[in-house]
Amino acid sequence: MSTALLEIEDLHARVAGKEIIKGLNLTINEGEVHAVMGPNGAGKSTLSYVLSGKPGYEVTGGTIKFRGRDLLSMPPEDRAREGLFLIMQYPVEIPGVPVTGFLKHAVNAGRKYRGEPELDTMEFIKMLREEGRKLGIDAEMLKRAVNVGFSGGEKKRLETLQMTILKPQLAILDEADSGLDIDALKVVAEGVNRLRDDRRSLLVITHYQRLLNYIVPDVVHVFAEGHIVRSGGKNLALELEETGYAEFVKEK
Amino acid sequence: MAGLIQNTALIGDDIPRLSGLREKGREAFRLPTAKTEAWRYTRLHALKADDFVVAPSKFLAELAGGEENGECACCRGQDCADDRSECSCGCGSREHENGCRCQGHHHRRESLPFAAYELHFDNGKFVPVYPVLPPGAEVMTLMEAVITGEERHLLNKYAELAKYPFAALNTACLEEGLFVRIGRNVCLDRPLAIINHAVDTGVNLMANIRNLIVVEEGAKAELVEYFAYEGNPKARYFNNIVNEIYLGAKAEFNHYKFQNESYKAVHIALNLVRQKKGSVYGGFCLQKGADLGRNETRVQLTEEEAKAEVNAVYLMNGWATLDTTTDIEHLAAETYSSQLIKGVVGGEAKGVFQGKIHIAPGARKTEGRQLHKALLLIDTAEVDAKPELEIFADDVKCSHGAASGDLDKEQLFYLCSRGIGEEEARQLLIDGYLAEVLARADNAAVREWLSANIRETK
Repeated sequence: MSTALLEIEDLHARVAGKEIIKGLNLTINEGEVHAVMGPNGAGKSTLSYVLSGKPGYEVTGGTIKFRGRDLLSMPPEDRAREGLFLIMQYPVEIPGVPVTGFLKHAVNAGRKYRGEPELDTMEFIKMLREEGRKLGIDAEMLKRAVNVGFSGGEKKRLETLQMTILKPQLAILDEADSGLDIDALKVVAEGVNRLRDDRRSLLVITHYQRLLNYIVPDVVHVFAEGHIVRSGGKNLALELEETGYAEFVKEK
Repeated sequence: MAGLIQNTALIGDDIPRLSGLREKGREAFRLPTAKTEAWRYTRLHALKADDFVVAPSKFLAELAGGEENGECACCRGQDCADDRSECSCGCGSREHENGCRCQGHHHRRESLPFAAYELHFDNGKFVPVYPVLPPGAEVMTLMEAVITGEERHLLNKYAELAKYPFAALNTACLEEGLFVRIGRNVCLDRPLAIINHAVDTGVNLMANIRNLIVVEEGAKAELVEYFAYEGNPKARYFNNIVNEIYLGAKAEFNHYKFQNESYKAVHIALNLVRQKKGSVYGGFCLQKGADLGRNETRVQLTEEEAKAEVNAVYLMNGWATLDTTTDIEHLAAETYSSQLIKGVVGGEAKGVFQGKIHIAPGARKTEGRQLHKALLLIDTAEVDAKPELEIFADDVKCSHGAASGDLDKEQLFYLCSRGIGEEEARQLLIDGYLAEVLARADNAAVREWLSANIRETK
């Protein structure tokens, strides 16, 4: 019997006074990979920000439960500590804050929250270098300031590295393939797939089917006009690639 | 306030050189008014709220034959007739039959976390314990340098007292301070440190300290100036500091300063730097304490290829006013200057930055850069920035920029979305913001010390 990890019920949310999500229902069980596909402007990214608690994204109705707890009452840092991770479409540059120091703070904040002892610096750096190597991130890159001067591919690799070491229960990939060439895409997908097991889940938000060749979903949802208009198996993604989103937008 | 210049007996009034300078100071001293442009943004309320008194001279007390406050005159670094053995505290003085009684001053002092040639002032009075400097370098009291003529009339030579009211006050009260000379091609193996301790005495003390620093041709040295207090964090006192710094041809001098006065202190400092051909000045000032603090630096690049960096960080909260004022004068061709100043302002505090780059006629192929940025952590915080360029030469590169704003919300969210709590995330961003300036402090040990003091919210 599968356990629900994320339960979204009748979610309504708005940004800058405009309602973007209108009655969304979605349940993701442990170990499942769900893809949310849809046209640009449908509110896909809004969903990822609402889940991660970004200021300015106002929930006006509905509930979200994560591991049985009320997600909406938690600040963003607690959502992350509970095991939610967002791979961002456009990771922000943070001058002066080195990758290694930042990630040590992030890992230890999570460990502290769970009552685990903090990692010492040597242990941490060793682990970080090893995981970095698998993603093609060298020691020099770990010394640089977070995302500063990184190429699009490097930014996504760093996002993937963060996910790898924070080991989330639910990873949300927001247009993880945007700006990536095929090699970088493979590296990111491999990193994500390594994390998959029967307890961890993925929510893959994407406009194109391409990414789903590498991260194969269990369920595909079509998201349009602020809610899910159709759900199906992985073949639905291929179908959409043929037909486009036009019929769903019209359906309104 | 009118009482800033008092009839305090200063030693050496019978020396024409000293009495002449003091007279000049008295004549030139006019308190800035609301109309004084150089002080327009930095109001002197904190100075006007109380009267300040000059602590009686230790030398006078000594001459009067008193062992004032239980302190012993023998502990002044001189051998004592009835000595026994060297004091175990390393203060250099000799123990008496009833033990060393010098614990009054330097025993409890925090020491710097790096090796330095340390010189101490207590409430503006020099503690005459001298480090052993390498050959070719010397340090003596300013008084001694005047009496022996070692200062060679460099004292006050370019001070323009009419322009700098508090330098005038400092000159009128000329008595305390050091003369440092780093001889030709001498390279100091560790920094000199001038450590100014303020100890609450219950009265509002004013200290006028004047340091004259001469780094001769080809010499290399570093100075760390540290202003700290002990005990009462609300102790009121006024430190009025003037440093005159002369750099010979190809001399290199790094000047670090950490102003960590009590919350209620007034700290006004003027650094006058005069540079010859190919010399390099690296100024770095961290201001964190004081109710009213001003660090003003005037650099005169008088010959070709002289180069100056003036960098600063200011951190403030509460109701403080911290002022960073710079005036870089490019007086010769092919001279270079660079300034990076960053502030973090919270509470109802007010940051002031006045930065001037002056390029004199004929100073061709000169480069002057200036950037001031401030983080305003809350709506009630304020920053006034006044960058000025005066360019009277062709073929020069000059730039200035100023920006102020809150922490970047996208960056904050990014850190929080990785599980870092908001307070910690804010601190990480502030550290990151200041990292760019800190990287300009060359000496790694000093940089680490300053960084640690930035992180610590005392």
